[in-house]
Amino acid sequence: MIEEHLDFNLLRKCADCGACYNVCPSCLYIEGYDPRAVIKDILEGGFERWLHSEHIWQCLECHQCLELCFQHYGFENAMTTMRLLATKKGIHPAQVKRGWDMFIKTGRLGEPAMGQRKRLGLPEPRPSGKEEFLRLLAIYRERKAQEKKGGEAER
Amino acid sequence: MKEFAVFWGCTIPARFPFIEKSVRVVLERMGLPWTECDGFTCCPEKSLINNIDHGLWVLTGARNIAIVDEQGLDLVSPCTGCISNLATIKGELHVDHRKKEEVNSMLKEVGRRFTGSAGLNHLVPFFHDKVGAFRIKGATKRDFRGMRFAIHYGCHMMRPYHALKNDDPLEPKKFDALIGWLGGESVNYMTKLTCCGQGLDRVDQHPTALQMARVKLRELNSLGVDAMVLCCPSCFLQFDNNQFLMEKDGESFGIPVLYFTDLLGLAMGCSPEELGLGQHRISVDGFLEKWERLNAARDTEKRLEEELKEEGAFI
Repeated sequence: MIEEHLDFNLLRKCADCGACYNVCPSCLYIEGYDPRAVIKDILEGGFERWLHSEHIWQCLECHQCLELCFQHYGFENAMTTMRLLATKKGIHPAQVKRGWDMFIKTGRLGEPAMGQRKRLGLPEPRPSGKEEFLRLLAIYRERKAQEKKGGEAER
Repeated sequence: MKEFAVFWGCTIPARFPFIEKSVRVVLERMGLPWTECDGFTCCPEKSLINNIDHGLWVLTGARNIAIVDEQGLDLVSPCTGCISNLATIKGELHVDHRKKEEVNSMLKEVGRRFTGSAGLNHLVPFFHDKVGAFRIKGATKRDFRGMRFAIHYGCHMMRPYHALKNDDPLEPKKFDALIGWLGGESVNYMTKLTCCGQGLDRVDQHPTALQMARVKLRELNSLGVDAMVLCCPSCFLQFDNNQFLMEKDGESFGIPVLYFTDLLGLAMGCSPEELGLGQHRISVDGFLEKWERLNAARDTEKRLEEELKEEGAFI
């Protein structure tokens, strides 16, 4: 399953290089954070233990590693994949779930602060695309369900 | 200049309406051709949405872009996260025609179509490239000579480069240039391009987020800058709110945090009240006092010079 998400040839070069270790803010300032260990385990087939680790959520997605990387790959692809696999298994910080729940209910991650807006003399916020978003979400889910069914029938 | 829509995102209207105010005041006073659109949703945020469902992340972003595409507008955002996400999604669809068709087949059912014709940019590089030095200098009445600023770019203003293409991703210059046009000094410091670390506050790691905030605040405290200037609501949250929380716990840094439009607005003659500066958690009073003091000293100097000139002195 992990092979779908990661290019192992690039990742192998990553494991040998590690140049981004010196620009990664989390590597520099968070004790014990080291994507090189995660990449090593991915290549050797023992990545599952990382799915429960807080480290995979400490990648700040700042893209420093991506920009520095001669393959334009960097640590972040490995860390994003680990988070994706973890959430698929339902392992994630509670806050991530709360954000997700709010997003699929309202299409936003926060509602405009009306009282404060009024005090500042700000105009009414433009109407959000909530209704249309919810319709689109239903269409998207239906498509996914169909794809899954199609895939199972093929098998 | 092409008409553009402002994409406020979720955080600014929900948590920092005073930032929205500051941006509105500046755009209005500058007389720029800006507008707002109905129907935007969350950009959507990367760490919360993309980590769970990449397909929905792309589809939602494509829908937001389709809104400006349809109206022939460009899009400018005062939020680095929003613009980076939208540009990344646009880039992904541009290189993957199958995916683009798939997305459009779903958007068609709600009456929309993504073409990706709209230009997307963050407010800071937009001011640098499209508004430009001439117009900015023409609009300002006072400057920040003698004031030292620590610019915090915010990672997603210019990263990832393949999607945004608006400044050097590892050595950006445009924010520095803008501060220079306003007469201020942009202080070079070691952690200038280091991520703020606010993302950790979104994954239940508040103490680690504070630890990251400290890295930069400590350095700036030792350098003695007059203010930190940035243009991202997440970075603002990290350095204003979280600095305030640490201050309450007895750890004081004393670094006022200004939004880019706060600085521009002040230079254009807007009052601190108009820009909502009183709502920042870290007081900006010391900063404003110093600025007034420097301005008053310069005014006296100028007046003396003129008086002497009148008396025929050779200056």
